Amino acid sequence: MTPATSERPPFETRWLDELAEGCRGLRGHHPRFEDLYLERRLELRVAAGAELASVQIDGGASRWRFADRWAMHAAAGVSSAAVAGLVSRYADRLDPPPVPAAPPAALAPPAGWIDWAHGLAGRPAFRGAVLRCFVRQAVVVRRDGWRGISTPALVRIEPTGGAPALLAVWGQPLLGDWLRRFSEPAPARTWTPPAGQQRPVVLTEGTAGVLLHELVGHLVEGDLIADGRSPLAGLGGAALTDAVIDLVDDPRRRDLPGAFDCDDEGVPARPMPLLRSGRLCGLLCDRETAEVCGAEAGRGRRSDWRQPPRPRLSNLVVPAGPHPARDLEAGVDRGLVVTRLGGATVDPGSGRAVLRVERGFELQHGRRRRPLGPFELTGSVTEILAGIDPRVGDDPTPDWRLGWCVKDGTPLPTGSEAPTLVVRRLEVL
Amino acid sequence: MTAGRETTDDLGARLAVAAASCRSRLAGVPRWEVFAKTSLTRQTELVDGRLRRSLEIDENGVAVRLFDGARAGFAAVSGLEPAAAHGAVEAAAAGAAPGPDPMPPARLLGATPVAPGPAMAPAGWAQHVAGELGIALATMSEGVLRLGRVIAQEGRYRWLLATAEGWSAEHERMAASLLLEVMVGDRPGVWREWVHVADPQALDLAALAARIGDRVLLTRHRIATDGGLHDLILHPEMTAQLLAAIAPLFVATPDARDPLPRLLGSDGLLAAYALTVVDDRADPTAPVVSPCDGEGLPSRRTLLLDEGAPRHRVASFADARRLDETPRGGAVRRSYRDRPATGLANLRVVTDDGRPPGELLGASDRALYLLRPLAPVSCDLVSGAYSLIASGVWIEGRRVLGWHPVVELTGKIGSLLRRIEAVGTDLAWFQTSQCFVGAPSLLVRRQSVIG
Repeated sequence: MTPATSERPPFETRWLDELAEGCRGLRGHHPRFEDLYLERRLELRVAAGAELASVQIDGGASRWRFADRWAMHAAAGVSSAAVAGLVSRYADRLDPPPVPAAPPAALAPPAGWIDWAHGLAGRPAFRGAVLRCFVRQAVVVRRDGWRGISTPALVRIEPTGGAPALLAVWGQPLLGDWLRRFSEPAPARTWTPPAGQQRPVVLTEGTAGVLLHELVGHLVEGDLIADGRSPLAGLGGAALTDAVIDLVDDPRRRDLPGAFDCDDEGVPARPMPLLRSGRLCGLLCDRETAEVCGAEAGRGRRSDWRQPPRPRLSNLVVPAGPHPARDLEAGVDRGLVVTRLGGATVDPGSGRAVLRVERGFELQHGRRRRPLGPFELTGSVTEILAGIDPRVGDDPTPDWRLGWCVKDGTPLPTGSEAPTLVVRRLEVL
Repeated sequence: MTAGRETTDDLGARLAVAAASCRSRLAGVPRWEVFAKTSLTRQTELVDGRLRRSLEIDENGVAVRLFDGARAGFAAVSGLEPAAAHGAVEAAAAGAAPGPDPMPPARLLGATPVAPGPAMAPAGWAQHVAGELGIALATMSEGVLRLGRVIAQEGRYRWLLATAEGWSAEHERMAASLLLEVMVGDRPGVWREWVHVADPQALDLAALAARIGDRVLLTRHRIATDGGLHDLILHPEMTAQLLAAIAPLFVATPDARDPLPRLLGSDGLLAAYALTVVDDRADPTAPVVSPCDGEGLPSRRTLLLDEGAPRHRVASFADARRLDETPRGGAVRRSYRDRPATGLANLRVVTDDGRPPGELLGASDRALYLLRPLAPVSCDLVSGAYSLIASGVWIEGRRVLGWHPVVELTGKIGSLLRRIEAVGTDLAWFQTSQCFVGAPSLLVRRQSVIG
């Protein structure tokens, strides 16, 4: 397998240059032209005994900015007529340069994916599973020019029964190992801790990244901060945790699903520090909320051409700490170790988080005992963060289960990588 | 040109052009089906009554399923132009794989007459709703509740389904919904409500404000927790999430993997007599209304659970044939991008014998009234174990004792369903991960509550 990305823009660069030139001269009566987004997507689907289903979706959207509001118009297709319709909504008529006579080449799946998918779908362990591949090419045109958006091709494997899927960048070297673990059956005999107990919890094998995605990542998204809906609003500079954690949102990590080289508003990708030694130091903003929050833009992401960009995470990364992960487990007398999460949510109303544990072990005197059955852990966002042990493990591990992040019904691929962390106390629900 | 400015005839003509373009490319293919759809969606976001964002989305596309006698294929492409139609045909042929013909025979195809839908909301409807609803909420709550963000979504869509045998169906309809965020006093965070609007012109804003406010204000009581065996009353939103968790039981499944037999009681019942559930695709008040299912079988009301006893299950034509079920029109096609697949459309509890919700609330000496789920209801259908995390209030008769912010119920789903004593008459529609669910309040006797 070779990493596959959509490196080239979906249209001829000369046509894009001419289009950007045209947009530079757009004159509106009231609103200001903000940007034009053009996108081509290919989704392939393979399941055992079924045909290769192919879906090719092209579309675009123009955005306009009034003094006190925004407007967006989106339409299927990327023909000259469609583009002309989008950019002429509030402005003098623009005749965009004609799309070159030869239509853009059809998007192609990454080399080797189809054979790989058919082979995997035929294995007994993946019977009934649906395998998907996502390829995307996009471009943002603004008055000051255009930028192509490059994102990695993704593979998603959806098991039967609605369990969380596996999501990975095509070409990720760990994919083979994840597939093996994905298909492992759950332990036959498990134990569930009694409800109401408070226990120390070791989050390992990448599950700490999922916790931080919910507790920090979402709650520093610009729209929640600007509206005051986040429990972290107004806490800039405050120490959220005793742990010496540096947390960065890094879209340049091409091995993780949330990667891009430029966000969907044309801002070049840069890592954004969110926690520095446990202190809140950054926010995730699109252009609109960046102005409100006085922060840097660069996280305006669209789930597709029909949706406006919104502040969203890319890849949350916690670098390795100095403490061997096995020592962190060994130091827990009576607790739990979580090796796989099936989901995590934060209720912004109550500020409480719920973690759905799928796999793990009971810890007694630092040793793994009975395997855990599915159950939930809960706690308030601020209390959980305050309760993270200062020691950080030395084993940063990417998560491969919960990357398909849904916010307000809108899905986007995201990634996380974190070492083992210990939360001193979480309540068993 | 956009769908919003085009007449019904214009839209029909564009769909017909796409279908004709496909047909010309499919000459010589014995079995095929073309689905073309166009839609216009307007989304208006208001904050504190002021317009913040407006979106207008004009989407269309065409999908092709074909069977050349030995291989079946599917592809979808955005656009209705001949190039899009040709692209869909070529991609479907290129991806075809050996297998049986997945499409229903022509003799099964047909259309059920459905009542025409309401007209699109007039311009300014979203602003009107936000203004009037905000006033109604503030008035009924004496200023405690404030309507914050309102997202009004309204749209119009039209589709055409045509087959190689010359059968075709067309349908056009309006759809509308509201997402409301309500602030409760000076408490941080928001209370969210999704509202299906069957007819924008007939929306009763005072009744909607009362429905939202009555529930939200219950969470203003002092905190009181309890545990043990207690009666439960499930708000319709809780009922909807519970039904979504067991929805896979209503879908045709191979015998070897079918969890249903293990969940039945010794009397063969999955639930108590009070619970009858249908999938109704012709109900004009439901969110999904259509003359036929996703592959052309006439729309019908499928009885899934009849006074607690399982009756029928939904299946696409191909799944029905594979699983030896009678095809009843159980395919859904949520967009042109999706291949028709087995699924539920409007899962609905029958409330003909329901009791007014006030009567349910007064039917118990002491009960936990579950107001809203804090996480999706999880249910392992193989073991029958479920977990329901919610917030609720303790009530004694109709007197509220206190708010229980986080409560969990666990146990066997069969024993929960078989202890349903009554359903309410307060049916409302909810969007769930499985399908739309029309759900009323439920009264459930003696369940274990973890305080």
